Amino acid sequence: MKNNYQSHTYIVAAIVIGLFLLFSIKPVTATPFPNSYFQEVEISGTIIDKEGLPVPGATVSIKDSKTGTLTDIEGNYELTAPASATLIISYLGFKSREVAVDGQEEIDIQLEEDVQALGAVEINTGYYSTTDRERTGNISRVSGKDIEMQPVVSPLQALQGRMAGVEITPNGNLPGNASTIRIRGTNSLREEGNFPLYIIDGVPINSTPLESNSNLTFGGIDPLNTLNLSNIESIEVLKDADATSIYGSRGANGVILITTKKGRKGKTELQARVYSGASSVPNRVDLLNTEVYLQIRRRAFENDQVEPTEANAFDLLVWDEDRYTDWQDKFFGGTSQVTDVNLNASGGNENTTFRLSGSYHSQGTVFIGDYDYSKVTAGAQISHTSDNNRLNLDLSINYGVDTNNLVGYLNLSAEAFLLPPNAPSLFNEDNTLNWQDWGEVGWDNPLEGYYNHSTTKSNNLVSNLVVSYQLAKGLSFKSNFGYTNLINDELVKRPLRSYNPANTGNIENRSGHVQSDRNSYIIEPQLVYNAAIGGGKLDALIGSTFQQSLVHQQSLFAEGYVTESLIGNLNAAENIGSSSSSNTKYRYSAIFARLGYNWKGKYLINLTGRRDGSSRFGPNNRFANFGAGGAAWIFSEEPFIKNALEFLSFGKLRGSYGTTGNDQIGDYGYLDAYEATRGPGGLYPTQLSNPDYSWEVNKKIEAAIELGFIEDKINLGLSWYRNRSSNQLVGYPLPAIAGFTSVQANLPATVENTGLEVELSTFNIDSQNFRWQTSLNTSFPRNELINYPNLNQSSYANTYRVGEPLNIGLLYQYEGIDTETGFYKIADMNNDETFDYQDRNLVWDRGREFFGGISNNIMYRNFSLQFLFDFVKQEGTLTLFDAGELGIQRREILNALDENSSFQTISQSTPAGTAYSQVLNSNLPIVDASFMRLRTLSLNYNLPGRILEKIGIREGKLFVNGQNLFTLTNYEGLDPESPYGGTEFRQLRSITGGVQFNL
Amino acid sequence: MKTNNYKFQVMLLCTFLLFSCEDYLEVESPDNKIITETVFNSDETAVSAMKGIYNQLSRASFSGGGTSSVTLLSSLSTDELQATLVNDQTYKQFEENEILPANPRNNNLWVSAYNMIYMVNALLDGLQNSEEITEEIRDQLTGEAKFVRAFTYFYLVNLYGEVPLVLSTEYSENALTERDTKELINGQIIADLQASINLLTNEYSEGERFYVNRLVATAFLARVHLYKENWDQAELLSSEIIEQTETFELLEDLDSVFLANSKEAIWQISPEGDGGSFTHTNEGATFIFHPIIASLTPVKLSGDFVLLMEGEDERLINWVGYHQSRDDYSPYKYKIRSSSDPVSEYSMVLRLAEQYLIRSEARLMEDDIAGAIADLDIIRKRAGLELIAETNLEISKEALIDSIFKERKKELFTEWGHRWLDLKRTEKATEKLASKTSYWEETDVLYPIPEEERIKNPNLTQNAGY
Repeated sequence: MKNNYQSHTYIVAAIVIGLFLLFSIKPVTATPFPNSYFQEVEISGTIIDKEGLPVPGATVSIKDSKTGTLTDIEGNYELTAPASATLIISYLGFKSREVAVDGQEEIDIQLEEDVQALGAVEINTGYYSTTDRERTGNISRVSGKDIEMQPVVSPLQALQGRMAGVEITPNGNLPGNASTIRIRGTNSLREEGNFPLYIIDGVPINSTPLESNSNLTFGGIDPLNTLNLSNIESIEVLKDADATSIYGSRGANGVILITTKKGRKGKTELQARVYSGASSVPNRVDLLNTEVYLQIRRRAFENDQVEPTEANAFDLLVWDEDRYTDWQDKFFGGTSQVTDVNLNASGGNENTTFRLSGSYHSQGTVFIGDYDYSKVTAGAQISHTSDNNRLNLDLSINYGVDTNNLVGYLNLSAEAFLLPPNAPSLFNEDNTLNWQDWGEVGWDNPLEGYYNHSTTKSNNLVSNLVVSYQLAKGLSFKSNFGYTNLINDELVKRPLRSYNPANTGNIENRSGHVQSDRNSYIIEPQLVYNAAIGGGKLDALIGSTFQQSLVHQQSLFAEGYVTESLIGNLNAAENIGSSSSSNTKYRYSAIFARLGYNWKGKYLINLTGRRDGSSRFGPNNRFANFGAGGAAWIFSEEPFIKNALEFLSFGKLRGSYGTTGNDQIGDYGYLDAYEATRGPGGLYPTQLSNPDYSWEVNKKIEAAIELGFIEDKINLGLSWYRNRSSNQLVGYPLPAIAGFTSVQANLPATVENTGLEVELSTFNIDSQNFRWQTSLNTSFPRNELINYPNLNQSSYANTYRVGEPLNIGLLYQYEGIDTETGFYKIADMNNDETFDYQDRNLVWDRGREFFGGISNNIMYRNFSLQFLFDFVKQEGTLTLFDAGELGIQRREILNALDENSSFQTISQSTPAGTAYSQVLNSNLPIVDASFMRLRTLSLNYNLPGRILEKIGIREGKLFVNGQNLFTLTNYEGLDPESPYGGTEFRQLRSITGGVQFNL
Repeated sequence: MKTNNYKFQVMLLCTFLLFSCEDYLEVESPDNKIITETVFNSDETAVSAMKGIYNQLSRASFSGGGTSSVTLLSSLSTDELQATLVNDQTYKQFEENEILPANPRNNNLWVSAYNMIYMVNALLDGLQNSEEITEEIRDQLTGEAKFVRAFTYFYLVNLYGEVPLVLSTEYSENALTERDTKELINGQIIADLQASINLLTNEYSEGERFYVNRLVATAFLARVHLYKENWDQAELLSSEIIEQTETFELLEDLDSVFLANSKEAIWQISPEGDGGSFTHTNEGATFIFHPIIASLTPVKLSGDFVLLMEGEDERLINWVGYHQSRDDYSPYKYKIRSSSDPVSEYSMVLRLAEQYLIRSEARLMEDDIAGAIADLDIIRKRAGLELIAETNLEISKEALIDSIFKERKKELFTEWGHRWLDLKRTEKATEKLASKTSYWEETDVLYPIPEEERIKNPNLTQNAGY
């Protein structure tokens, strides 16, 4: 009976599904009762899954009756039923089966996993779990098996295009660079106040990217890099108030829950997988060749009436006029190798299960030079249940080490767009750097720093122990104890030979060191209570949180190493200095509660609340309360709808409203303090202090409808949301006359994010051998600064506009070519003959108009094919049209040679340069940068079982994966995912292939 | 059994609630920060806060002598320096007197000056509100800090014209403040300097001339009065300095003038304040041609300037560098381009030679021709030039004025924008500079208020011509 009780939710779900099936599969046909109708048979049997493992807790019920039972832990059941009855066997995540008893006494049934039954999949909401069918909030889920084959470093990168309302933008093109992730838009005016909360197995992870001095500086290092993609069971993204309010002050930007895989009862299984492949940059910008470039340069001198000399026209007079180098190929035209090896084992008995895993992943580079990335991970998970089922222990440990070797201090993709096509070669014939030819004209070799080498190594441990004990019927005590430790150690070596030998007078062998150590613990004791009350099911939860996080960061520099080989050994350095050192402590504590009520699987209510305290705020403003309510009505359960709309297999209306907060602001920001100057013996104020600032509050409202048609073969979800973030907590920019250029303060401004999210999934074909499933998600976000008292008098006067999104450009109006000067002309709006922000009245929305993804899942016999397109509608800019200047331009400016082109007169005079730099801030460079990209495609072939059996292998498959295989876009820049300027790329094209065996 | 369970639940619940208390959230301040209150709780830490200001003078763009300093940028604006980098417009704009409001060097100069003023205001606030600091230290530090504020405003008002006069740390008010009149700012400068003179002694702490004392404030006030054409005050104050023969002396050896704590120095900034392992001055690093790659140096002395120096001028020999293969000249007052040896040169801010030139000009304006010639000849004599007293005693007043300004140009070149400010205060900028650049306009005598600053504070108006 206890068992029965614990599975109450499942039973309800199962019965509901059962009823659906009953109702929708076949209109009930009246059959005359045969004679044997009243004969009762005692039936017993075992329910197993496709792999032959027992399915405990499955519902076995008699059709058209209220009788039923559950399978025990070994999948066995016993039941008495009329000999002519039909049994319905159902279990979450499996297709329900109906079996006619037909007088049999022993019925063993194999259940098939139901990819279709999305509604039945259990969804983790952090402190409790629900099902897709019964959820009252907005939660998107991606299953680990959809992403584990992708050759990416951070799991977040694999989520691109998969979830409605989740926008992922890569920041760099090096493995390990953090991506920007926005859940339902930008809420905070502060860039660094928009990180979602990351939680791995119940333990919060600092989502701020790690700092680096290497080429990873821009964007920083993703703290999730060290996770093993294959260890991920699921990633859930919590979006609305109902789902996020229980995270209180940290829920404003959404929550990303990563759950790792657990062991399974039964025979010990071993899975091994290996894949490898190659990546390259798929696109190039169409640039001038030498001949045309020089022609345009000569024209510039003619037009400017300047005599070319060796000093001002070395590309014309000193450098070889016939030389041509494709600098794009030179700098990023390489091929990168990818290798990935994964091994895991799992098994266990009734009481204890385990899962052990290990992986290795390595990636090369497309850049010139020795770059490589590698990652090694190990994971262990153990669960134990006491014999009396009262005590549960669950321990998970994820450990990863990654090493990023980069050539120091070069932004190689940017270099490619700075150099004239006839610039000298980078290397001498003996493979040393060519200083001579570049030095002749006063330039340094663009590969200066080439022999610099940085090694960035992260060790990351995430562990959590959950202990739960059943105190009484329906009441359990539960607590988790989480610990994380992320150590990042970076060494940048800058040997003398990296630099121009002519210039090494004051340069020595140097090294730079950055060490960061992030350490945190969390303890969350909770009481969980379930009961059947008033004909429904009540779930209650109350708990508290104690969290501490310590961050230590130090950077050192050292110089004066006698030889290159000693660089990095501080003992061998002549001088050692510290450029920064900080220790920060953050403490957080909270009380939270949840009350859920489910009445007959029809009406659902969910109330959550949290009281939070954080050390990031001054003593007067340390605490705040957050709460939310959500409700859902499964109207397809109402008889009148059931009867009236037969095609409707599922229908739910739901809504939620509540508050969340944002405490992502530096530690100690409220302190009025001095720090040591770099020079000896001094103290100085390093920031302005404001002891009174408090939380940013985000009020979220959501309304949604979810529909299933034709036996759930078509599922449609529409959600509308409106999030309003006010009391903006910002590093408020100040003019320098205030002493510093910013101060932390709450701003009386409101940012609103509204949007519509559409999710559609269809089962196009569903037969034994051929199955085809499609899902589509699209988001139409709208971001707006709806309120900002006295914006015109504020420091943001020329950054934001009320009624416009946050991500805007304030631009000049382009007016065409000035007929007098021949240069670009922009509108002087106030006719004061100067150009400043008062003339920049044009508002350009830089955000995405809509975005989404379409994925397809096709299975035919032993083959399966998955592919995902993602699409974005947006605008971007194109630059590199400063015809006549030293450097390189796009081939399009060829037209400038024609007098009547749309480009300005070819020139390198100061007025031409000014006109170009001004027109870059006008609407002229704006172009459509929408795209549709085949993000990922994978083809799998399951090896036939008969052959495998002979060699003792249970399962085996071969697979091929392609990333970014093609892109449909009108954008002429390098990559529409980085649509500003056009000279950056974010995504490589990769093709990998491999094999997987299960023993 | 049931009641027991119930009690247990209540107890458990209470433990949760008790635990979540405020004490848990108290975190001690981090080891890299000292609470402001603590800083002004003792003489030692308050002195450290003033030392911080001295240190930051070497790091701050406007005063550091580097690539965004008053010294470099305003020398480019006149006929002293020329930009050498083909691809860097930021220097070129100063040389061509066509500075864009977005010029980052102009912005650095402005931002660093106001940051310095904030540091001073914060120190003055801290001193005023503290009851723990001894009277002696309070006076001493107040005097030093007020000098730094007056010094910084002097350059702001002379480079930008009307600027906001910020005297408090109330950043929310200050952020939207408007520009104040020159009269108000000059009045504040004089009041601050007068306060320094009243509060300070004639001693240099630790014998180091990077500390401010009464003499430093007096010498600077002499200049302020000269600019305001208060000739009698200028003469009086410069005489006071010149008479300190125990402390100050015009050094015969020109190569020793810019050494640390040289007897000619009235006030210097120590490159040690910059921290790190290098000990050369930023001027040395910026001006001196690299021995092999001259193109790394952003500026050179203009050829016209070098021609102005007569052949026998000792300053041409000792203070001008020459790069053979480029046939280019550079300022060579500082001899060390790069070093991590113990510090030997300090960056010069105020020196005795200027005081002679101030007095010469002031005396002339008061029609003390003989006195003016005597002071001017002291400078000429050291430079190895003929003495006016010996060759041209009958010189007209106009010719003598010209001689004084010519001498100022040759003596004080590439030091703290003397030439630029001289041309401006005598309204000769257009006459002297219009031929240098095709972009010259009358309004170029003021630099533009940085664009970013005006974006953030809409109440700041722009100077005419930008």
